[in-house]
Amino acid sequence: MSEQFKPNIVAFLCNWCTYAGADLAGTSRIQYPANVKIIRVMCSGRVNPLYVVNALQQGADGVLISGCHPGDCHYMEGNFYARRRLKLLKELLEFTGVDPRRFNMSWVSASEGHKWKEVVEKAVEDAIAAGPFDQFRRRQIGW
Amino acid sequence: MDLNQLRKVAAEVVSRDDVKYLIGWRRGTFGYRVAPYFVEDAAGVDELIFSPLCISNLATYLTLVEKLPVPRGQEPDKRKVALLVKGCDSRAVAQLLVEKGVKREEIVVVGLPCPGMIDRDLLAEKYPETDKAAELRWNGEDFLLVGEGEDIVIPRAEVLAEKCRLCRHPNPVLSDITVGEPVKPWAAADDSGVAEIEAKGAAERWDYWEEQFSKCVRCYSCKSACPLCYCEDCILDRLDPIWVNRAVNFSENTAFHLARAFHLAGRCVECGECERVCPAGIPLGKLNRKLAQTVREEYGFEPGLDPEAEPFQASYKPDDPEEFIL
Ligand code: SF4
Ligand code: SF4
Ligand code: SF4
Repeated sequence: MSEQFKPNIVAFLCNWCTYAGADLAGTSRIQYPANVKIIRVMCSGRVNPLYVVNALQQGADGVLISGCHPGDCHYMEGNFYARRRLKLLKELLEFTGVDPRRFNMSWVSASEGHKWKEVVEKAVEDAIAAGPFDQFRRRQIGW
Repeated sequence: MDLNQLRKVAAEVVSRDDVKYLIGWRRGTFGYRVAPYFVEDAAGVDELIFSPLCISNLATYLTLVEKLPVPRGQEPDKRKVALLVKGCDSRAVAQLLVEKGVKREEIVVVGLPCPGMIDRDLLAEKYPETDKAAELRWNGEDFLLVGEGEDIVIPRAEVLAEKCRLCRHPNPVLSDITVGEPVKPWAAADDSGVAEIEAKGAAERWDYWEEQFSKCVRCYSCKSACPLCYCEDCILDRLDPIWVNRAVNFSENTAFHLARAFHLAGRCVECGECERVCPAGIPLGKLNRKLAQTVREEYGFEPGLDPEAEPFQASYKPDDPEEFIL
């Protein structure tokens, strides 16, 4: 490959911690790969597993979900539910043959701009290693 | 199984003033086949049967009944629905109670300890041309085909349904009345098919499921037959917002299957109905069992055993596994 593969990563970030953490990374001018497309949700517990499935269908090569550390959730317990559900989703995706490197989850607080950078770097590295994900693309309906 | 005892108990139950009808099985219209049967009065109980072909899960009917609006000035019909349950069916009922899909006071559960059911496809394959025979019975460990000509003993291992080979709870986990003696649980086979798939590489697994999911015709029978798929507004049927397109192609089929399996994670009681009714022969049971195994091994939870349990996906423990989180 002459040109390096640039993965598309969709990131679902919770409004209160990771979104603010990513914001902090920006205001602190921390450089990190530009492959993530951030979607802000109110809580990691709001991430419906079908968001992930849909993102993969619509051309994402990897998905990243990030929320507050356990115990820090703005809604007290949203991230605990997210942890359970997304673990099951991860197992299910893996079982059906999706490369586990396409799915990452992290806890990043509002003050962890540096951690956010590391998380993104890891997600991008993983997605590059896993390669482009075309098999699951939503088919365009051609009449 | 003493059918007379079953019919006697059933007659008592349907005669009660607070019982609307009893759901059971009777002979079908052809050969040894059986069909679900709604008994409304004591005169109907003579047709009730319980045979190794009564594999269908009647708990599905509990949530299928249409709840018509009650006309003004009339009282709603508060009578109970009685149903016959095997081990796995009783787990579905327990899970419905957990989710408040049905209320305890709405049902009468008649438990039948289950010696194991026959997979009719296996039977037809191994004993072709026998389907006109009148009846199948349990015969000790094995099965007995009674009918045309001589009775045939069918070894258990040849035709036992997959879910029954893997069954850990053949006796009802909850019932108001139990008919018959509890059976001794047998050593569940350990070939759930999960480890076999996990042993493959990711690309191979993808190919395997691509082949399977591509067969799906999206008839939604798996959803309809499942006792625990009863949302009035199913996310997979919705058009606005549309989560899963209706087009039948590999991408949408895969999304459909991921969503269906996920929605049943921590809820599926492994009754096998989804796979049994699938016209395309997709091994849905393997997907379900994979998630059931994860829930059992990593969270120590098994759905459908305790009607007072917390719903798995709507609860958490502070020390749930999180080694996968960065
Ligand atoms: S029953 Fe089988 S073919 Fe029908 S929707 Fe379910 S998996 Fe697809
Ligand atoms: S998903 Fe299949 S095995 Fe599980 S409860 Fe529903 S019908 Fe039974
Ligand atoms: S597939 Fe999901 S949304 Fe649809 S009925 Fe089953 S549990 Fe409900």
